[in-house]
Amino acid sequence: MASFMTGGQSMIPNPNPTATPITREGDQLVLTPLGAGNEVGRSCMHMSFKGKTVLFDCGIHPAYSGVAALPYFDEIDPSTIDVLLITHFHLDHAASLPYFLEKTNFRGRVFMTHSTKAIYRLLLSDYVKVSKVSVEDMLYDENDIIRSMDKIEVIDFHQTLEVNGIRFWCYTAGHVLGAAMFMVDIAGVRVLYTGDYSREEDRHLRAAELPQFTPDICIIESTYGVQLHQPRVIREKRFTDVIHSTISQGGRVLIPAFALGRAQELLLILDEYWENHPELHNIPIYYASPLAKRCMAVYQTYINAMNDRIRTQFANSNPFDFKHISPLKSIENFDDVGPSVVMASPSGLQSGLSRQLFDKWCSEKKNACVIPGYVVEGTLAKTIINEPKEVTLMNGLVAPLNMQVHYISFSAHADYAQTSGFLKELMPPHIVLVHGEANEMGRLKQKLVSQFSDTNTKLYTPKNCESVSMYFTSEKMAKTIGRLAEKVPETGEAVSGLLVKKGFTYQIMAPDDLRVFSQLCTANITQRITVPYSGAFEVIKYRLKQIYESVESLPVEEAEVPTLIVHERVTIRHESDTYVMMQWSSDPISDMVSDSIVAMILNIDREGPKMTPIEEKTHEEMERMAQKVVHSLMVSLFGGVKYGEDGRLVITVDADVARLDVKSGEVECENQGLRERITMAFSRVQGAVRPIPKPQC
Amino acid sequence: MGTSVQVTPLSGVYGESPLCYLVAIDGFNLLMDCGWNDLFDPALLLPLSRVAKSVDAVLVSHPDILHLGALPYARKHFGLSAPVYATEPVYRLGLLTMYDHYLSRRQISDFDMFTLDDIDAAFQNVIRLKYSQNYHLSEKGEGIVIAPHVAGHLLGGTVWKITKDGEDVVYAVDFNHRKERHLNGTVLESFVRPAVLITDAYNALNNQVYKRQRDQEFIDEILRVLRANGTVLLPVDTAGRVLELILILEQYWAQQHLSFPIFFLSNVASSTIEYVKSFLEWMSDSIAKSFEHTRDNAFLLKYVSLIINKSDLENYANVPKVVLTSMASLEVGFSHDMFVELATETKNLVLFTERGQFGTLARMLQVDPPPKAVKVTMSKRVPLVGDELKAYDEEQEKIKKEEAVKKASIIKVEEVRAASSHLSESSKGDSMMIDPPSAVASSEVASHFHGKMDILVDGFTPPSTSVTPMFPFFENTAQWDDFGEVINPDDYVIQEEESNHMGNSKGLDAKPDEASVHLLLDSTPSKVVSHEMTVQVKCALLYMDFEGRSDGRSVKSIIAHVAPLKLVLVHGSAEATEHLKMHCAKHVCPQVYAPQIEEAIDVTSDLCAYKVQLSEKLMSNVLFRKMGEYEISWMDSVTEKTNEKMLTLLPPPSASPVHNSVLVGDLKLADFKQFLSTKGIQVEFAGGALKCGEHITVRKISDSSQKAGTGAQQIVIEGPLCDDYYKIREHLYSQFYLL
Repeated sequence: MASFMTGGQSMIPNPNPTATPITREGDQLVLTPLGAGNEVGRSCMHMSFKGKTVLFDCGIHPAYSGVAALPYFDEIDPSTIDVLLITHFHLDHAASLPYFLEKTNFRGRVFMTHSTKAIYRLLLSDYVKVSKVSVEDMLYDENDIIRSMDKIEVIDFHQTLEVNGIRFWCYTAGHVLGAAMFMVDIAGVRVLYTGDYSREEDRHLRAAELPQFTPDICIIESTYGVQLHQPRVIREKRFTDVIHSTISQGGRVLIPAFALGRAQELLLILDEYWENHPELHNIPIYYASPLAKRCMAVYQTYINAMNDRIRTQFANSNPFDFKHISPLKSIENFDDVGPSVVMASPSGLQSGLSRQLFDKWCSEKKNACVIPGYVVEGTLAKTIINEPKEVTLMNGLVAPLNMQVHYISFSAHADYAQTSGFLKELMPPHIVLVHGEANEMGRLKQKLVSQFSDTNTKLYTPKNCESVSMYFTSEKMAKTIGRLAEKVPETGEAVSGLLVKKGFTYQIMAPDDLRVFSQLCTANITQRITVPYSGAFEVIKYRLKQIYESVESLPVEEAEVPTLIVHERVTIRHESDTYVMMQWSSDPISDMVSDSIVAMILNIDREGPKMTPIEEKTHEEMERMAQKVVHSLMVSLFGGVKYGEDGRLVITVDADVARLDVKSGEVECENQGLRERITMAFSRVQGAVRPIPKPQC
Repeated sequence: MGTSVQVTPLSGVYGESPLCYLVAIDGFNLLMDCGWNDLFDPALLLPLSRVAKSVDAVLVSHPDILHLGALPYARKHFGLSAPVYATEPVYRLGLLTMYDHYLSRRQISDFDMFTLDDIDAAFQNVIRLKYSQNYHLSEKGEGIVIAPHVAGHLLGGTVWKITKDGEDVVYAVDFNHRKERHLNGTVLESFVRPAVLITDAYNALNNQVYKRQRDQEFIDEILRVLRANGTVLLPVDTAGRVLELILILEQYWAQQHLSFPIFFLSNVASSTIEYVKSFLEWMSDSIAKSFEHTRDNAFLLKYVSLIINKSDLENYANVPKVVLTSMASLEVGFSHDMFVELATETKNLVLFTERGQFGTLARMLQVDPPPKAVKVTMSKRVPLVGDELKAYDEEQEKIKKEEAVKKASIIKVEEVRAASSHLSESSKGDSMMIDPPSAVASSEVASHFHGKMDILVDGFTPPSTSVTPMFPFFENTAQWDDFGEVINPDDYVIQEEESNHMGNSKGLDAKPDEASVHLLLDSTPSKVVSHEMTVQVKCALLYMDFEGRSDGRSVKSIIAHVAPLKLVLVHGSAEATEHLKMHCAKHVCPQVYAPQIEEAIDVTSDLCAYKVQLSEKLMSNVLFRKMGEYEISWMDSVTEKTNEKMLTLLPPPSASPVHNSVLVGDLKLADFKQFLSTKGIQVEFAGGALKCGEHITVRKISDSSQKAGTGAQQIVIEGPLCDDYYKIREHLYSQFYLL
């Protein structure tokens, strides 16, 4: 493309260096778990495809502390991430977010659901307060959390958003209030990230939805591997039976549970059970969590994210306003005199109130500890499930473990039946397992492989930082619209126009339609320049005719002053005795033409007024002149040039003879090389001798 | 080729009648809104009755009577059985609005257009969507995607985007671009170049005062009355704009520590607020934010008391207070009674926050100057006693026996009803009184209509002197004079004569508000007695615009920004519609339609389009330039048919001819001025042009002959031959991409 500028500088900005080259790499989708790969905790999945990058979840590992608990963020460049999606508020899915937002160069956008955001704030503040680590080990503080709140954007279930061409929306996931499964669509390739999900409806939550569309990749949790849950009714019965029998024998029941989420479900069960058993009314139930009270407003507000059962109850009274459950602030306020039921956090018995109570009660045979959910490897809760004889207390002493330990899972994760059923319905061609212990995950993989053996399904179980690549060749389709599309072209016909790309959609259109179909618009720049000139206008015309093939004079009645139009591009008006005005519409060629005219006019002026137009020669005269020039130039180039008898030029170079037809430019010669040289020379001579022809547009 | 789109208004054009439009997209019939008015005039629904059965889906945009009032009636009488789509708040608040209207009507009349069960049945069909949820229709509507988007105005208010084959039809009525206390502004402006935009001209001629100033005036007026020991009555809707008013009052009361009591009185006041509390995710960002940080729900009201009985106000009879109460029309409901009580005292103020619906008491009071006196009808529901009760019991017996016979006659009655409404439509000014063929027939109809509520009216025979409480009908083709529409106040008054049985009723001014509610809901046989009275309007009347709709100027600029390829205008007075039509035809797009009722217009896009595949070879030669969210490039190619249907574009075999260069970019002179001054060039605006340096001027030419929205910008740079000229030209070029 010709340079647009007179100065020779290009006005065109450098082509975008990051423009995606069309290579195979563009079709590669890379998934890298930064956490939760063959483990449970610090969920974090990095995905990149077609230059877009999405990060799912941003958790910490509850069994570690400080930087060790973070996902492997140093494997990636946070600044390249476009979108970060958080599925739910649990620490292993959301707790490294303040760190990621405030302490890294992440510049993308973060999304979570309304209720997740409201609880996230409370939960992390609490986490910061209770985590017993040194100041250097603190990943972030309260202020970081508050700052992070301003950066987090909200998304409602089913709401479709688009960021940088990445389209995404979320489905109900069950699990906890506000938990979401994200579906991400990049250039037509859909990826479903389930986060933690449960397909079973419980007392207050809806079951996970089945997405309307089959994803190309399903990243799915495998917490429970191939285990099967007991039916909910049986679990609830076991739970209430254990509690009932323990307290009727004068024992105490400890339920270590995470403060929010599943705890609300257990409280609903207990409150209902107490309501139906008046004989228990004198046994206190304590819920030891300062958070719970503060989160109640959230639970009351976002009832629309819960199931119909709770919404119907809500119409009458608030089901989260428990009648038989009292709050407990700390162990100091606890009057441990007789049988009681205490629900306390943390769920892993690492520290805090649940651990204090455990230490106090563990050697008493009457007492019971009910572990109501999944416990992470490396925590005390995990250890006691295997019922060791002795345990180490917080003060370092060893005590016998006589208390009954029951493991009744209410954690709303999918079991094997739900997982396989879910995948069977969706039939995704690629399944990536995350969020599961290596053994459980391995067993699940085996079973799923045999289940999907007759299909083309591929299963992956990447470890942390281990990338999985998949290829998706997508055909690029474009829509030709507007004026350009008035007729559908046949094979071989040319299609030329503007190719406009927005997100991953392409449109082809005529420049005039640009404004109609996009927010872009085109412009015409008209230039008017006055050039000092005091000579005769005819001189300009004469000189121009020598250079340009088409120089038209406008009749005087149309234009008030003498006017010339060169190549239908540039208009020159003789405005007054002292100057002429040139007008043209910007484009590279017109700019060039106008520049040459300006130079020419200035030259005429410098030569002074002595110039007078010579009277015009006839066409034949012109031709003869031209032929003469051609002849003499050819002589200077090739030496022996004679006029042949048929008007052609006979050129003799060494032994070779060539005949040149001056009118058509045809060359007859046996020597191939010579013929080409003459043809080339002749075309150049012609270009120099004759005025510049009008370009065919 | 383009998707075929037809729009047929069924109501709500060239006037303020309820909104109801049929949009057919490739033969799939979408009913956009299904409104009725506060008077429940069946004549308005005639056009709907003709097409109701062929409707495939109903999309509702706002939770008020004008947008969804006819759903129960149409479902029951016209066989409108299509699924209804709405957002969760529109569903919930719409339901409450209907309940409120029904209860208010029943308290003073034997209202039999629909029952509570009908309302429930109609709303059972509602499929609830979230904002920006792309809902893919199935079966007959395959390929159509509908999505609700934020409209502002009312909680849950929706701008509908209907997409088929990449072409958008946008239905945006009653939107508000301004952010309010409880609502975000509409996202309508983010839609660019839809194939069709259907919007209203309701506010085309209205311009609003500055919001803060209006709020202050509002508070000042209220306080002035309160401090003079008066009562302020705010007739409001059930669950719409009232929320904003409550927040304004709450906020101001909190700031100023005021102790004047505020009441929100409607049949469903407490449940309304209870539900609204759980709709935080549908409200403005600031409300959501304050909840996330402090968990303070904005609708945990501290100053406004929610009451559902008027008797609760008795203790405050002489206390200065603010009462927000439904209906805004003052036709029925608590607002009607409150008005009658308050109107006679000069110290009181009736403050209207929205324009009253046509032909309602509120509208009559909003004329300037306001009428000195208005006639109103006071009605009460009282239990049957003595002979009447006996007659009722006998009637019940009779009804049981004649179960089978009835059904046949009901159909007959229906026919008579339809016929009579046809008749009355044709004669202008004729009020739409449906005289029941006989007292028995009327009770039969009632008992059939009411399902399990039948006990309420069964057997109650209206005295022969009393007319069935139907509301007057008048045509919309009204006459206009300099002051607006010429109206006859008598038309708007419920013409009921005092019952013969006045003796049986208790004192009308006594308190049995609560009793009558009970009568309504329990099974005691009861009847309605009414008397007409003239109320001297001595109280102050005031209208302030809190309708929460974009004003005329904003509407115009929003439409211009959206720049639809075709525009359909509905809902607005004839004047406003014509005004906006002229304006848009000149400045927005050439194809502006303002159809009449039942006039089907074809807005199928005349857009040509075909799909091609872009070959890898071609794409590897294309170098995109980034412009905002677009990437753009010039492309030369040749086509090749790879298989039966698909065309593929390949790179051209030889160098393609030079094309006319295209300059892409949008030059704002003000921005360019800024840019030049950063480059050290002296610039100033002079007579609309930019004067750069000594001699060079740059100007934009707006070509008036050219339709807006098409064509290129015309920019002129002129000046004498000098270095500056080329320098400035270079800067000018740098604002564009050359393709």
